[in-house]
Amino acid sequence: MTIILWTTVVLLGAAILVGLFRVATAPDPASRAVVGDLVFFSGIGVLVLLGLVNSSAAAVDAALIASVLGILATVALARILTKGRR
Amino acid sequence: MNPALDLALTVLIAVLLIGGAFWMLTAALSMFHARDSLSRINVLSPATGLGLPMIVIGAFLQHTRTTGLDPFVLVKTLLTALALIIVSSIASNVLARAAYLSGSPVDPRTAPQDLARAPGEGEQEPHSEDR
Repeated sequence: MTIILWTTVVLLGAAILVGLFRVATAPDPASRAVVGDLVFFSGIGVLVLLGLVNSSAAAVDAALIASVLGILATVALARILTKGRR
Repeated sequence: MNPALDLALTVLIAVLLIGGAFWMLTAALSMFHARDSLSRINVLSPATGLGLPMIVIGAFLQHTRTTGLDPFVLVKTLLTALALIIVSSIASNVLARAAYLSGSPVDPRTAPQDLARAPGEGEQEPHSEDR
Protein backbone atom coordinates (compact mmCIF):
# COMPACT_ATOMS: atom_id res chain seq x y z
CA MET A 1 0.00 0.00 0.00
CA THR A 2 2.90 2.35 0.74
CA ILE A 3 4.17 1.79 -2.81
CA ILE A 4 0.75 2.77 -4.24
CA LEU A 5 0.63 5.94 -2.16
CA TRP A 6 4.14 7.07 -3.09
CA THR A 7 3.59 6.23 -6.78
CA THR A 8 0.58 8.54 -6.74
CA VAL A 9 2.57 11.25 -4.95
CA VAL A 10 5.34 10.98 -7.58
CA LEU A 11 2.81 11.20 -10.46
CA LEU A 12 1.18 14.28 -8.91
CA GLY A 13 4.58 15.84 -8.23
CA ALA A 14 5.50 15.30 -11.88
CA ALA A 15 2.22 17.00 -12.86
CA ILE A 16 3.14 19.98 -10.64
CA LEU A 17 6.66 20.24 -12.12
CA VAL A 18 5.37 19.99 -15.72
CA GLY A 19 2.72 22.60 -14.87
CA LEU A 20 5.28 25.00 -13.38
CA PHE A 21 7.49 24.60 -16.46
CA ARG A 22 4.45 25.32 -18.65
CA VAL A 23 3.66 28.44 -16.57
CA ALA A 24 7.19 29.67 -17.29
CA THR A 25 6.89 29.01 -21.05
CA ALA A 26 3.21 29.91 -21.63
CA PRO A 27 2.58 32.38 -24.48
CA ASP A 28 -0.27 34.46 -22.97
CA PRO A 29 -1.48 35.38 -19.45
CA ALA A 30 -4.73 33.41 -19.78
CA SER A 31 -2.80 30.16 -20.33
CA ARG A 32 -0.70 30.93 -17.27
CA ALA A 33 -3.87 31.30 -15.20
CA VAL A 34 -5.22 27.95 -16.46
CA VAL A 35 -2.02 26.03 -15.78
CA GLY A 36 -1.75 27.71 -12.37
CA ASP A 37 -5.21 26.30 -11.62
CA LEU A 38 -3.97 22.83 -12.54
CA VAL A 39 -0.97 23.20 -10.23
CA PHE A 40 -3.34 24.26 -7.41
CA PHE A 41 -5.52 21.15 -7.85
CA SER A 42 -2.47 18.87 -8.04
CA GLY A 43 -1.35 20.41 -4.76
CA ILE A 44 -4.69 19.43 -3.19
CA GLY A 45 -4.09 15.85 -4.38
CA VAL A 46 -0.61 15.76 -2.80
CA LEU A 47 -2.11 17.12 0.44
CA VAL A 48 -4.73 14.33 0.55
CA LEU A 49 -2.11 11.65 -0.07
CA LEU A 50 0.31 12.97 2.54
CA GLY A 51 -2.62 12.90 4.96
CA LEU A 52 -3.07 9.21 4.11
CA VAL A 53 0.64 8.45 4.60
CA ASN A 54 0.58 10.08 8.04
CA SER A 55 -2.94 8.65 8.68
CA SER A 56 -4.16 12.09 9.72
CA ALA A 57 -7.87 12.90 9.43
CA ALA A 58 -7.27 16.65 9.03
CA ALA A 59 -6.37 16.19 5.35
CA VAL A 60 -10.05 15.42 4.58
CA ASP A 61 -11.09 18.80 6.01
CA ALA A 62 -8.27 20.55 4.18
CA ALA A 63 -9.36 19.00 0.86
CA LEU A 64 -12.98 20.00 1.51
CA ILE A 65 -12.05 23.63 2.23
CA ALA A 66 -9.67 23.83 -0.72
CA SER A 67 -12.22 22.40 -3.16
CA VAL A 68 -15.04 24.69 -1.99
CA LEU A 69 -12.95 27.89 -1.78
CA GLY A 70 -10.71 27.13 -4.76
CA ILE A 71 -13.09 29.09 -6.97
CA LEU A 72 -12.01 32.33 -5.25
CA ALA A 73 -8.45 32.04 -6.62
CA THR A 74 -9.77 31.35 -10.12
CA VAL A 75 -12.25 34.23 -10.04
CA ALA A 76 -9.51 36.57 -8.78
CA LEU A 77 -7.28 35.51 -11.67
CA ALA A 78 -10.18 36.05 -14.09
CA ARG A 79 -10.73 39.60 -12.76
CA ILE A 80 -7.00 40.31 -13.09
CA LEU A 81 -7.09 39.08 -16.71
CA THR A 82 -9.89 41.48 -17.67
CA LYS A 83 -8.31 44.31 -15.59
CA GLY A 84 -11.37 44.59 -13.34
CA ARG A 85 -14.06 44.57 -16.03
CA ARG A 86 -16.69 41.87 -15.72
CA MET B 1 -11.47 -8.80 7.27
CA ASN B 2 -11.86 -11.44 4.60
CA PRO B 3 -8.49 -11.66 2.73
CA ALA B 4 -10.08 -11.83 -0.73
CA LEU B 5 -12.25 -8.80 0.03
CA ASP B 6 -9.22 -6.94 1.37
CA LEU B 7 -7.25 -7.69 -1.80
CA ALA B 8 -10.14 -6.53 -4.00
CA LEU B 9 -10.41 -3.31 -1.97
CA THR B 10 -6.66 -2.72 -2.28
CA VAL B 11 -6.81 -3.14 -6.06
CA LEU B 12 -9.78 -0.76 -6.24
CA ILE B 13 -7.91 1.84 -4.16
CA ALA B 14 -4.81 1.47 -6.35
CA VAL B 15 -6.86 1.94 -9.53
CA LEU B 16 -8.62 5.02 -8.13
CA LEU B 17 -5.46 6.72 -6.77
CA ILE B 18 -3.06 5.97 -9.64
CA GLY B 19 -5.78 6.50 -12.26
CA GLY B 20 -6.64 9.89 -10.78
CA ALA B 21 -2.99 10.94 -10.70
CA PHE B 22 -2.68 9.72 -14.31
CA TRP B 23 -5.51 12.09 -15.34
CA MET B 24 -3.74 15.01 -13.64
CA LEU B 25 -0.41 14.23 -15.35
CA THR B 26 -2.13 13.77 -18.71
CA ALA B 27 -3.79 17.18 -18.36
CA ALA B 28 -0.43 18.77 -17.48
CA LEU B 29 1.26 17.23 -20.51
CA SER B 30 -1.67 18.15 -22.80
CA MET B 31 -1.12 21.82 -21.93
CA PHE B 32 1.81 21.66 -24.38
CA HIS B 33 -0.37 20.33 -27.21
CA ALA B 34 -3.33 22.72 -26.90
CA ARG B 35 -2.84 25.74 -29.15
CA ASP B 36 -4.87 28.52 -27.45
CA SER B 37 -6.02 29.33 -23.94
CA LEU B 38 -9.64 28.22 -24.54
CA SER B 39 -8.41 24.74 -25.54
CA ARG B 40 -6.22 24.68 -22.42
CA ILE B 41 -9.30 25.38 -20.26
CA ASN B 42 -11.05 22.45 -21.96
CA VAL B 43 -8.03 20.23 -21.34
CA LEU B 44 -8.15 21.11 -17.62
CA SER B 45 -11.69 19.72 -17.15
CA PRO B 46 -10.87 15.96 -16.92
CA ALA B 47 -8.23 16.68 -14.26
CA THR B 48 -10.55 18.57 -11.92
CA GLY B 49 -13.82 16.83 -12.79
CA LEU B 50 -12.59 13.23 -12.88
CA GLY B 51 -9.01 12.91 -11.63
CA LEU B 52 -9.27 14.71 -8.31
CA PRO B 53 -12.65 13.17 -7.28
CA MET B 54 -11.11 9.73 -8.00
CA ILE B 55 -8.16 10.55 -5.71
CA VAL B 56 -10.46 11.84 -2.95
CA ILE B 57 -12.73 8.76 -3.11
CA GLY B 58 -9.70 6.43 -3.17
CA ALA B 59 -8.32 8.22 -0.11
CA PHE B 60 -11.68 7.75 1.65
CA LEU B 61 -11.65 3.99 0.88
CA GLN B 62 -8.09 3.66 2.21
CA HIS B 63 -9.04 5.62 5.34
CA THR B 64 -12.04 3.31 5.83
CA ARG B 65 -9.90 0.21 5.24
CA THR B 66 -7.44 1.14 7.99
CA THR B 67 -9.59 2.86 10.65
CA GLY B 68 -13.15 1.73 9.93
CA LEU B 69 -16.17 3.62 8.58
CA ASP B 70 -16.68 7.14 9.93
CA PRO B 71 -19.98 8.74 8.76
CA PHE B 72 -18.55 12.27 9.05
CA VAL B 73 -15.63 11.42 6.78
CA LEU B 74 -18.10 9.87 4.30
CA VAL B 75 -20.20 13.05 4.24
CA LYS B 76 -17.09 15.23 3.88
CA THR B 77 -15.76 13.08 1.04
CA LEU B 78 -19.06 13.20 -0.88
CA LEU B 79 -19.23 16.97 -0.34
CA THR B 80 -15.65 17.36 -1.60
CA ALA B 81 -16.25 15.29 -4.75
CA LEU B 82 -19.50 17.17 -5.51
CA ALA B 83 -17.88 20.57 -4.84
CA LEU B 84 -14.94 19.72 -7.10
CA ILE B 85 -17.23 18.91 -10.03
CA ILE B 86 -19.57 21.91 -9.60
CA VAL B 87 -16.99 24.51 -8.51
CA SER B 88 -14.47 23.62 -11.20
CA SER B 89 -17.18 23.87 -13.90
CA ILE B 90 -18.19 27.36 -12.77
CA ALA B 91 -14.57 28.43 -12.35
CA SER B 92 -13.74 27.23 -15.88
CA ASN B 93 -16.69 29.17 -17.28
CA VAL B 94 -15.64 32.40 -15.52
CA LEU B 95 -12.01 31.94 -16.52
CA ALA B 96 -12.86 31.20 -20.18
CA ARG B 97 -15.03 34.30 -20.41
CA ALA B 98 -12.26 36.43 -18.89
CA ALA B 99 -9.66 34.86 -21.18
CA TYR B 100 -11.75 35.72 -24.25
CA LEU B 101 -12.54 39.27 -23.07
CA SER B 102 -8.89 39.96 -22.23
CA GLY B 103 -8.10 39.58 -25.92
CA SER B 104 -5.84 36.56 -25.75
CA PRO B 105 -5.54 34.99 -29.21
CA VAL B 106 -8.05 32.25 -30.02
CA ASP B 107 -8.07 29.71 -32.82
CA PRO B 108 -9.72 31.47 -35.82
CA ARG B 109 -11.90 28.41 -36.41
CA THR B 110 -13.59 28.94 -33.01
CA ALA B 111 -17.32 29.33 -33.63
CA PRO B 112 -19.67 30.69 -32.42
CA GLN B 113 -17.92 33.71 -30.87
CA ASP B 114 -20.98 35.48 -29.48
CA LEU B 115 -18.92 37.58 -27.03
CA ALA B 116 -17.41 39.48 -29.98
CA ARG B 117 -20.81 40.44 -31.43
CA ALA B 118 -23.21 43.22 -30.47
CA PRO B 119 -26.54 42.22 -28.87
CA GLY B 120 -29.31 41.93 -31.45
CA GLU B 121 -26.92 41.13 -34.24
CA GLY B 122 -28.49 37.70 -34.54
CA GLU B 123 -27.27 34.22 -33.93
CA GLN B 124 -23.98 33.15 -35.42
CA GLU B 125 -24.01 29.97 -37.44
CA PRO B 126 -21.89 27.24 -35.86
CA HIS B 127 -18.91 26.21 -37.91
CA SER B 128 -19.96 23.49 -40.33
CA GLU B 129 -16.79 22.69 -42.29
CA ASP B 130 -14.47 19.95 -41.20
CA ARG B 131 -11.92 20.87 -38.55
